[in-house]
Amino acid sequence: MITLRTNMGDIAIELDFEKAPLSAANFLQYARDGFYNGTIFHRVINGFMVQGGGMDSDMNQKEGRSPIENEADNGLKNEIGTLAMARTNDPHSASSQFFINVADNQFLNHSGKNPQGWGYAVFGKVVDGMDVVNTIKEVRTGSSGFHQDVPADAIEITETLISDAYADR
Amino acid sequence: MTRFFISDLHLAPERPELLAALEQFCAQRLARGDQLYILGDLFEAWIGDDDPSALATQVKDLLAGLNQREVDCFVQQGNRDFLLGKRFARESQCKMLGDYVVIKDSGGAILLTHGDLLCTDDVDYQRFRRKSRNPLYRFVLSHLPLRRRQRLASEWRAKSRAASANKASSIMDVNEETVVQVMAEHQVTRLIHGHTHRPNIHQHGAKTRWVLGDWGDFGWYIALEKGAISLEKFAITP
Repeated sequence: MITLRTNMGDIAIELDFEKAPLSAANFLQYARDGFYNGTIFHRVINGFMVQGGGMDSDMNQKEGRSPIENEADNGLKNEIGTLAMARTNDPHSASSQFFINVADNQFLNHSGKNPQGWGYAVFGKVVDGMDVVNTIKEVRTGSSGFHQDVPADAIEITETLISDAYADR
Repeated sequence: MTRFFISDLHLAPERPELLAALEQFCAQRLARGDQLYILGDLFEAWIGDDDPSALATQVKDLLAGLNQREVDCFVQQGNRDFLLGKRFARESQCKMLGDYVVIKDSGGAILLTHGDLLCTDDVDYQRFRRKSRNPLYRFVLSHLPLRRRQRLASEWRAKSRAASANKASSIMDVNEETVVQVMAEHQVTRLIHGHTHRPNIHQHGAKTRWVLGDWGDFGWYIALEKGAISLEKFAITP
């Protein structure tokens, strides 16, 4: 289990190493490196998803490692409480940014191996702290530079805790 | 006062993220006194102003809400929602615009159009367009039983998803001669349109043409403020 400690509370996550081996290992590595500490949930849309893991509280992008292959064809669905990798419009461009679905976002699921249908790779789920996610999704947002849907008060990941169960992963 | 232009949202019940994106856009970009111009294909399919769907109601409420915030909203018909009419305009408190509209700002006149009329190389489409805009055709279509029209719309949407009909490669681009000719007829040097799903800025001699993009992975808009026109995009998908 990985716990993202935020200034709004803890969000505990379980990764799916079976169905999303690359994405889960990628997330775990960022967590181990402490990469997520000091990043914020910079895009929050109630009824859709909350996205974070790549921007600091000054809205500067944090440089991640090389992009990973998209595992959206693993059968996992973008349902409430699941975590998936965020990316650009290139399907295989995810690095550190992820999002938590706060709705059943069927349209984000894999439907074909083409740029339109690749979808977004689910690699884990929130196992504790969904109340924190539900508080986050309700916060007031506005635009900041070229970014929309940015929380007015920064929601920051202050610490990343990794349970012993993931020690040999 | 800023004027915003959007088009080709292709709102559909199967694409809830697009309506969410429009709601966010309206909430965050539009301020009191601004104007919003929707240059066609707001909907993926529009079966008539008596459409009782949740989507239709949500959009009408959203646009009527703009009016309450003192944002004027103008709507042009597109090739996919050419049945948008007076009742829709009344319920959403928008003003319907004709196929060609000229607006003025400090820099002079700007022509607004959906863009399908500029695609004169697409002879089959232009033939269909003439037929579909015939008052008799529209009358018959809009007087089919609601159920039948709902089924038709659902089939259209399924077909365009399956055939990737909304991809730029499936839509013919404008005919440049037509563009120059239409701009001359309306005595403008600036044109804003959508339809082709090829967002860009083009020069035709001294004339400039801004093309809006369709909403999908990104939302596209054009902002006109103090004579300056900018084409902008923002992320919709994560």
